[in-house]
Amino acid sequence: MIRAFLTRSGLVFLLAATALFCLGPVLWQLVTSLKPEPELTRLPPILPVHPTLTHYAAIFSGHPFFRIILNSFIVAATTTGLSLGIGSLAAFALARLGFGGKRILLGVALAISMFPPISIVSPLYLVIRALGLRDTWWALVVTHTTFALPLTLWILTSFFREVPGELYRAAQLDGCTPLGAFRRVLLPLATPGLAAAAILVFIFSWNEFLFALTFTTTEASRTVPVGIALFPGLHEVPYGELAAASLVVTVPIILLVLFFQRRIVEGLTAGAVKG
Amino acid sequence: MRSERHLGAVLVAPAILVLVGVALLPILLAAGLSLERRLPIFDIAEFVGLANYRFLAFDPRFWVSLRNTVYFTIVSVSLELLLGLAIALLLQRSFRGRGWMRVVVLLPWAIPTVVSARMWEWLYNAEFGLLNYVAALAGLTTQPVNWLGDPFWALHAAIVMDVWKTMPFAAILLLAGLQTIPRDLYQAARVDGANPWQIFRSVTLPLLKPMILVVLLFRTLDAFRVFDAVYVLTGGGPANSTETLSIYTYKVLFQTLQFGYGSALAVVTFAAVALISLLYLKLMGGAYWRRLLG
Amino acid sequence: MRRATRRIAVSLALAAILAGCARSEESSRQTSGPVTVIFKHGKIAGDPALFSSLLRRFEAEHPGIRVRDEILPASTDQQHQFYVISLEGRSSEFDVLSMDVIWVQEFARAGWIRDLSHLLPPHEREEFFSAPIAAVTYEGRAYAVPWYVDAGLLYYRKDLLDRYGFRPPTTWQELVTAAQTILKKENDPGLRGFVWQGKQYEGLICNALEYVWSAGGDVLGEDGRVVLASRQASMALDFMRELIDQQVSPAMVTSADEEATRRLFGEGRAIFLRNWPYAWNLFEREGSPVRGKVGVAQLPSFPGYPPAATLGGWQLGVNRYSRHPKAAEALINFLTSPEIQRWMAVKIGYKPSRKALYRDPELLRAQPFIASLYEIFLLARPRPVSPYYLMLSQVMQPEFSAALVGVKSAEQALSDAERQMSRILFGKGAR
Repeated sequence: MIRAFLTRSGLVFLLAATALFCLGPVLWQLVTSLKPEPELTRLPPILPVHPTLTHYAAIFSGHPFFRIILNSFIVAATTTGLSLGIGSLAAFALARLGFGGKRILLGVALAISMFPPISIVSPLYLVIRALGLRDTWWALVVTHTTFALPLTLWILTSFFREVPGELYRAAQLDGCTPLGAFRRVLLPLATPGLAAAAILVFIFSWNEFLFALTFTTTEASRTVPVGIALFPGLHEVPYGELAAASLVVTVPIILLVLFFQRRIVEGLTAGAVKG
Repeated sequence: MRSERHLGAVLVAPAILVLVGVALLPILLAAGLSLERRLPIFDIAEFVGLANYRFLAFDPRFWVSLRNTVYFTIVSVSLELLLGLAIALLLQRSFRGRGWMRVVVLLPWAIPTVVSARMWEWLYNAEFGLLNYVAALAGLTTQPVNWLGDPFWALHAAIVMDVWKTMPFAAILLLAGLQTIPRDLYQAARVDGANPWQIFRSVTLPLLKPMILVVLLFRTLDAFRVFDAVYVLTGGGPANSTETLSIYTYKVLFQTLQFGYGSALAVVTFAAVALISLLYLKLMGGAYWRRLLG
Repeated sequence: MRRATRRIAVSLALAAILAGCARSEESSRQTSGPVTVIFKHGKIAGDPALFSSLLRRFEAEHPGIRVRDEILPASTDQQHQFYVISLEGRSSEFDVLSMDVIWVQEFARAGWIRDLSHLLPPHEREEFFSAPIAAVTYEGRAYAVPWYVDAGLLYYRKDLLDRYGFRPPTTWQELVTAAQTILKKENDPGLRGFVWQGKQYEGLICNALEYVWSAGGDVLGEDGRVVLASRQASMALDFMRELIDQQVSPAMVTSADEEATRRLFGEGRAIFLRNWPYAWNLFEREGSPVRGKVGVAQLPSFPGYPPAATLGGWQLGVNRYSRHPKAAEALINFLTSPEIQRWMAVKIGYKPSRKALYRDPELLRAQPFIASLYEIFLLARPRPVSPYYLMLSQVMQPEFSAALVGVKSAEQALSDAERQMSRILFGKGAR
């Protein structure tokens, strides 16, 4: 009885500590976003004396922020779709089909992730320009997908491999083609991996800054990180506005994660599959 | 089976196309540049073979940035992995509000780097920062601590920020990995009389190894190449104490416009990361490869 | 479920393709019809509508030319990176660019910007401050037109100085004495003496050179040789270090940039501040704790030497690969003309690069503060005028920072810096 209580309160304590660690700075951003300009540099008090929504109003009035968020969303969603689409097919092949050069492929994919992006942004710029993709969503989708693929490949190959071989072979015996077995058996069982990969790729694309800065010029294709980088003036840094913007742009991601995170958990119903 | 091979080739083709088509050419160009002395400002573009690498070997600033980067990577990644694992284990249990908790845990990763770095810069601000305020209130300090302006503290401040930001990456992948471990294995172990620690060591950890490897690999890659967050936080200072390899590479490429040498630095960064990755894969052993690729 | 997701992805991709194609057509410029000049610059202060109205006015006065301005992030590093990537890739995607004063030499040497000497004939050149003119002149030819200027100056708390009978300091020692006295007498644990920018970035060079120059030292000599490791420079850097050691300046200056120090002073928590003129408007704003209490003066110097201020400011140039150079030059002429510079000064608070405007009655009336900066701008000195400057700066920044935080002695830092800079300039140090 006491042990149950201790583990229960232990759990609550750990959860609270984790929440504080993760949320602490974010809550501070919230507080900062509500403090009027003169109060920003005063401590105490921690909480705003005259809370205000001017910073939130400012980020939408001074900049085409809705458009920027839309751009980011389209780029990130397309990147995620493409990465998962291309990645899952390739991962299936790597995990289940027999052909040579698998290690090399995974190795090359990993190697591409290892190169510091700043050293290839210049040649990439020339490639993008040659393709006529400057200032378009496509430029970002293509580059983001390229750099998200290695992670996707590794995660998904890992997950597909973990699905027991008997299930896959059973599906084939039932008359499924390999792709059919892939669709009916592997995909559903690897849902945690797919969901995790989807979240990570989406967030990567959403927050990617270097390529977004280099390949986009106008609001037609500008994404959130570049939009936020445009807030500060030559010397002035509007901390209030930055704080407000950082929270606003996180909302779509929170919604997305809320949607996907259930799938991370609903992967395997215990026993029914691996039994 | 031939048809399997064909199918396999077809299925990996798009991935290869994207990776090779978009990334390979720029990477090869950059590698090629590292063999040149290329100063566009001065119209200099001459092939010099390995001269850039020879210079690099004796460049004190390179060694300092390498040291900073290695230290940063080791401490950061270890902490991220441990914290991520702890939180993943925590989140695996069922309790009310678990969905929300997962969102909370993901928040640091979700906030754009350019913003979270400024946020931490503000937190660490010696005069206005929350950290110093709380520390003074709690009686831990008598003088404001110069977090970002002290050669010793600055790198550690950057590490804390990075751990905060990237720990969710580890947590989410490890959580997904935990989800694939069938319940009955735990049941069986408990029936055998194992205590939680033994269960963790003999059931959880081995089955989690693939995910741990993915986390280690990609987190090490990222930590070794860290740029934006630290650059916004400290700019590489004070006295180059937080200058990582990527920050140095950035300055060489885009401030001093030495394209050849900058590319050499990038290639060396790549080589270092490749070496570490090979080490990880070696440690995981051949059994892991067989398990991964069949 | 997965199939649905993939369908969505494909449709999104298709939509993106269509949208992308549509946009790239739009953005490719027409060869017939009005000429569109693209003007790239960092964010303009104040209401963007004001600057837009200016560009519309240009269009009205120049039928056949349209102007589209595209904004870059304010961070000078990001702007520089953008220009380097674009210009090295021979981009024609913009015509007029706004450059930091320290980039003009390097862009000119690289052949990335056009010779604009015909826009600045000798009599015209004299209308501008000599320092920015020197900064935009490469091998006798002008490659950019100074748009607006900036220079470091000293802000001080009039009320605090008056209370203890101090006048604005003319020597660094006077500043130290005043600060120490006031700190002791005020006995306020939140008050700091003198704040300035000591973070390892370009701003540190701006600050440090003000001490070095006002001690009679310099970076490059007349003949172009590196003369940084001099006794005077050493004394100057030591002085900066002592400011921190003796707690005249708080330790945080070693990681402080313009905004951190501006906010500290703006909260009433510092007696002296070295910063750029932009901060004045923020101090005099409604609700500012230091409103009406701030005085502005030239920076002090060491005995026997004149004071110095580091030159900042931005210059307008034409992209070498621009397809409409004449139209671009027309825009530059317009933006740097006396009338428009006065308009920008009055309406947006920009500091004109033309000297005569500082005695202009309308400017004196509307922006007396700007008019009062004339003497300070006359003092302004450009950082070493050389295409190698950014390389030199990258050498100096960590060395100066090391001296400030006590990792090296000032003398050691300066001699290390000199050695590396000499190799860059005269040896094969530039790789």
